Amino acid sequence: MITVLTLFGAQPCRAQLTIDVIGGGASQVPITVLPFGGEHRYDQLISQIVSADLRRSGLFRLGSLGRARPFPTQAGEVDFAYWRNEGAQNLVIGKLTDRADGHVDVRFRMFDVGAKSQLVGFSFLVEVAQLRVTAHKVADLIYEKLTGDAGVFSTKISYVVKRGETFELQVADADGFNPQIVHRYKEPIISPQWSPDGQRIAYVSFEQRKAIVYILAVYDGSRKVLASFEGSNSAPAWSPDGKRLAITLTKDGVSQLYLINSDGSGVYRISYSQSIDTEPNFSPDGRHLLFTSDRAGSPQIYRMRVDGSDDPRRMTFEGGYNVTPRYSPDGKSFVFIHRYRGRFNVAVQNISTRQVQLLTSGRLDQSPTFAPNGKMILYASEYKGRGILAAVSSDGRVKQRITAQAGDIREPAWGPLLNNHQKESPK
Amino acid sequence: MSKVVIAFCLVFLVAGCASTEQQVAGVEERTLFDETQAREQEEFDRAQAEQAEKDAQIRREQDELNRQLEEQRQRELDLIDAEIEVDEPDIRPLTDSSLGDGDGQLQGDPWMQLGEPGSALAQRSIYYDFDRYDIGDEYVPLIEAHADFLLQNPGLKIIVQGNCDDRGSREYNLALGQRRAESVKRAMLLLGVSDDQIESVSFGAEKPVAFGQDEESWAQNRRSDIVYVGEPQ
Repeated sequence: MITVLTLFGAQPCRAQLTIDVIGGGASQVPITVLPFGGEHRYDQLISQIVSADLRRSGLFRLGSLGRARPFPTQAGEVDFAYWRNEGAQNLVIGKLTDRADGHVDVRFRMFDVGAKSQLVGFSFLVEVAQLRVTAHKVADLIYEKLTGDAGVFSTKISYVVKRGETFELQVADADGFNPQIVHRYKEPIISPQWSPDGQRIAYVSFEQRKAIVYILAVYDGSRKVLASFEGSNSAPAWSPDGKRLAITLTKDGVSQLYLINSDGSGVYRISYSQSIDTEPNFSPDGRHLLFTSDRAGSPQIYRMRVDGSDDPRRMTFEGGYNVTPRYSPDGKSFVFIHRYRGRFNVAVQNISTRQVQLLTSGRLDQSPTFAPNGKMILYASEYKGRGILAAVSSDGRVKQRITAQAGDIREPAWGPLLNNHQKESPK
Repeated sequence: MSKVVIAFCLVFLVAGCASTEQQVAGVEERTLFDETQAREQEEFDRAQAEQAEKDAQIRREQDELNRQLEEQRQRELDLIDAEIEVDEPDIRPLTDSSLGDGDGQLQGDPWMQLGEPGSALAQRSIYYDFDRYDIGDEYVPLIEAHADFLLQNPGLKIIVQGNCDDRGSREYNLALGQRRAESVKRAMLLLGVSDDQIESVSFGAEKPVAFGQDEESWAQNRRSDIVYVGEPQ
């Protein structure tokens, strides 16, 4: 069973996000997703949500539904010769059955049409309110089977919406649906970061007329101050175990890096320079930090050991403005913002080869954040004078534009992959 | 004596900043090689326009000051009226509420002094180049004036608020804004102002005053503001 956590005290907002896909992968995997039996009894059409997820990734080409009716919904009903004729290679079928206790039994199977064999099949016993989440889970399983990478359709994103003079911290599903306002204030909010367990968001608010770091428990709405020292408190970055954060403080003068326990105790300084050191980001193994420093006269990206046992090593050498480093989930590369011909764009650099690839071309792209499978990068950009979110695949081929109906969206943070505590019974 | 200290600071600030030197050199070159008639006319027109704007600003500020003075006079008259009713002799020490005699040695209400149009104290903002936090020579009189004022009024406190244009990283800009505010604070500390009279904070790129995507707007947003705690608006 899928455990769905509802956001306590959060307010649903009408402004749904719209995602447009621009471009596609080099080679798209063909897939045919047929309507699930019984799905029309519910508002959420599972097969359409699955199809939309797969299409949005840019890695799949959705095949025709053919003319044969009714659609097969169980293993014995699939006419492989017919579907091979229709050009189908990977065929997804499914069925929803109501249970007496009000739950819904959702089953799906994916077949290799040529081999006439099942690739993957699962059943879920869920509440009606969980059908959308279940559809994302089905898409995740299909994605993982066909690409070898974890699917991220069930994950959440957070971002800040500026509406007039009001700033809203929002949380939504990765496809932009179900946006919820988890915090709202009339002063700026920046730098939200998900805890590794997906339960908390650290962020910076100016509500006390200066930058202070707060931690919000997303599902019960409780909130506490993490750091409120003299001067600015900012740039929270969770350690992979979620027990502590790296932050930037100016209590000793210029912005420097500190570690602090997630309950606000045990703060201690880890960078010692006469320059700006900020925007720390933990390596996936928790041993290193990437950060931005202007110690060489212009902002550049450096790497240091978290225990401070070595001198920070400069990582970027191209250009005079390289900021906001974020490790890829495999730790082999990092994304950052690179100024190029007066524009600020997302770039990715391989750590061992130092090879840099520019991924975007906006005027002012900011705050890149990796999907937890490392395949997409979400970032803030602008479109027709408004702040929007955009996403680009880590190879630069697939691009998405995510817009809200009103307001400026900025400061995205992609939430972690979560184990949904489900009982899945392969058939 | 304080002039000597400031001169020393100036050398210190300029020496610490190669780009300021380059800029000064650039300006001189232009003056030597690019003195066309058109440019002079353009400069003259701009200066005229700026002067007109300044004059208008001064007039507005004077009007406001006069309005405040009139209100204060009325309050005092009301007070006297009230006391006359009690039918007691009106004997009290005279407070110095004069606005000074123009020699710069102003006494009395510090808020009045701060708001005096055209004075260095009425100027509250220091502007910067992109990704820079060093204080230009033209702002030294402003910093000197506020430092002197804080020394004369040790009970007053200021918050220096650093700001940036919106280009680049929000977090880096927050740090840069802090550095801008801090540089103003340090200059004042060097002039003898007490550390607990000055707090430096940063708004980064989060509170722009100009919203255009052009150098004119960006330049207005790269700024430190001096804000007096408790100053009447």
